[in-house]
Amino acid sequence: MSGVVAGVDIGSTTAKCVVLGDDSRILGKSLSVVGIDIVKDAERALEAALADAHLSRSDVAFITGTGYGRYKVYFGQLVVTEISCHARGASFLFPGTRLVVDIGGQDTKAIRINEKGEVVDFAMNDKCAAGTGRFLDVCANALGYDVSEIGPLSLQARRAVKVTSTCTVFAESEVTSYVSRGKDPKDILAGLHASIANRTLSLMQRVGVEPEITFTGGVSQNQGMVRALHQRLGAPVNVSPLSQYLGALGAALHGRERLSGGAS
Amino acid sequence: MSDVASPAAAQGGASPTFLRDARGLQRKLVEEYYGRLAPSEKPHPPVAYMLVGGNLTEIVRAFGYDVVFPEIVALNCAIKHQSLENILHAESLGYGLDVCGYVKNDLGLQDLGGTTSFGQIPRPDLLVCSFSGCYIYVKWWEALAESYGAPLFMFDVPYMREEAPRKEDIDYLVSQLWEFVHLLEKRTGRTFDMDELKRVLAESRRAEDGWVEFLRAGRFRPSPIEAYFESIFYMFPINVLRGTPEAADFYGVVNEEVRARVKEGNYPLPEEKYRVLVEGVPPYTNYRTFWDFFRKWGAVSVVATYPKVGGLFDRGFRHDPARPFESIAEYSLGAYVNQSWPLRRQIIADYVKEYQVDAAVIHGIKSCRSFTAGQGDLRDWLIHERGLPTLYIESDHQDPRYFAPAQIKNRMDAFFESLEQRRAVAAAPGVAPA
Repeated sequence: MSGVVAGVDIGSTTAKCVVLGDDSRILGKSLSVVGIDIVKDAERALEAALADAHLSRSDVAFITGTGYGRYKVYFGQLVVTEISCHARGASFLFPGTRLVVDIGGQDTKAIRINEKGEVVDFAMNDKCAAGTGRFLDVCANALGYDVSEIGPLSLQARRAVKVTSTCTVFAESEVTSYVSRGKDPKDILAGLHASIANRTLSLMQRVGVEPEITFTGGVSQNQGMVRALHQRLGAPVNVSPLSQYLGALGAALHGRERLSGGAS
Repeated sequence: MSDVASPAAAQGGASPTFLRDARGLQRKLVEEYYGRLAPSEKPHPPVAYMLVGGNLTEIVRAFGYDVVFPEIVALNCAIKHQSLENILHAESLGYGLDVCGYVKNDLGLQDLGGTTSFGQIPRPDLLVCSFSGCYIYVKWWEALAESYGAPLFMFDVPYMREEAPRKEDIDYLVSQLWEFVHLLEKRTGRTFDMDELKRVLAESRRAEDGWVEFLRAGRFRPSPIEAYFESIFYMFPINVLRGTPEAADFYGVVNEEVRARVKEGNYPLPEEKYRVLVEGVPPYTNYRTFWDFFRKWGAVSVVATYPKVGGLFDRGFRHDPARPFESIAEYSLGAYVNQSWPLRRQIIADYVKEYQVDAAVIHGIKSCRSFTAGQGDLRDWLIHERGLPTLYIESDHQDPRYFAPAQIKNRMDAFFESLEQRRAVAAAPGVAPA
């Protein structure tokens, strides 16, 4: 098992870990909520993924940290930004990818990549949380839903409302205002998803929209968001049940390259 | 990509030990200057407040004035982490969140009494609004005039859309300069002395020669200077002390130090991996943190546009005692921020070639649209038209609330990771260099 590598992605909301075998098959993975002790969260993420793979720490030859908490992965040998990792992960899963859209807890990124999965250009949202996973969390709460429910509900909308606020806090007030005017929550949710799709499209245009487009990050698991992006782009986007793990997967792949003496 | 040697090493680089005597001398000059102008030090020369862009330092000096640049006071407060208190005070007076940080920092400071860690800022005897390209600045000067009851001279400088100034523009500025001279004669009771102005201009020219010699050292490989982060230290003499022998002598010390660096191999970084051009106003509130983000990747700024806000001397301009008013007019027109975007793009394109630049980093500031608007297009132009990897990041030069370290570091790390990756691929066997 000397070629086993692991990637640990510590995001603003969740910690993800992927353990890869010699043949780059995923042997185990984990997903957990990040708390205030990021060092422990990183360790737990690795332990959970190793348990999923039926392996122990001594089986792992190389560990790479990524995400905002990458420098807290003290037990790793390499740190790589999640921008490079999502690029590599997306390219691994969908080799035709030329544009990665990653919507996570506090960041939205558009990453243009070449045929080798290398970053050519990228653009990110400003430091405000509008258009990110946090934005959806806040608005779901305002409507009394869990964030996991809002994607499917938005698909049932009949006439999406227009959400114009560019600030998460103001958007929450806008949602409350629509509720008080008797608007159907499904229509409000569809409007929220469309508003994120609009913001995301403008980021994508900054780096150039080129198919194939792969959607990654936690928000990629939201079907309403997938459809909203598809509608706004007028083209399909690649999504996989593993999309949320692509940062961790990319980190593991960078580690594999480093282990074999490659570019990383 | 970074190896995780230790948690501390992962966060930033070591101390900038390449800085020697010049940095200490610059600190001394700043303290002495404001010390001399302190209200308690009687008598001190009259004080003219001026803006850096297109400033008329030589003319007021010829009448015995000293100069205070509120922008420079504000940036000194910001780098010493004193700007937020002033900004919050200005906001409590009614200045909105979106008003320029320079303006709020200065007006807040003035209203709080003008005490800083580097000296007591004197009240103005005269206000000279020397850069009319920014309308907020015009309003700032009007607010100061109302607050202090000091006379206000508005110097109207046309925007530059052509590289060479037009005769009509020069004539227009020269006529305003004469008007200014008459105002100064009236205020001081002194008769204008052309010989004195020529003497001041000759000193300015000497300082400009020395400043340019320093800036051009960035052309060496490796560069013995940090053209963005280090230059900021040395902008005080070229802007505030210009026209005095101290300014010219200061650059003599600086250039001696740079020559010694080359001789001793004492460079900004042990290994210059990336030669970077930096465009935009620095995030003074987090200046050292921002520098560390470059140093960690072996990136040295070999050329920067910001040090040119007080004059494009490296493009050949000099104050000229033989053409006193005309050369002052040309200087005012030639302020970096007064150039149209096609002209700014050309300057940057020339720098990329002359300084053998590998990549560009653009730092936009929320405070200033007149400097920043257009930087997004500049980024696209550099990437697509010039093939230069370019990163755009944004924070502020005065307001620390706009500096998000984790986000900025993330962008910087990702940018340099992609450069590293490209180099590794280009260096791989069988891959032709791009």
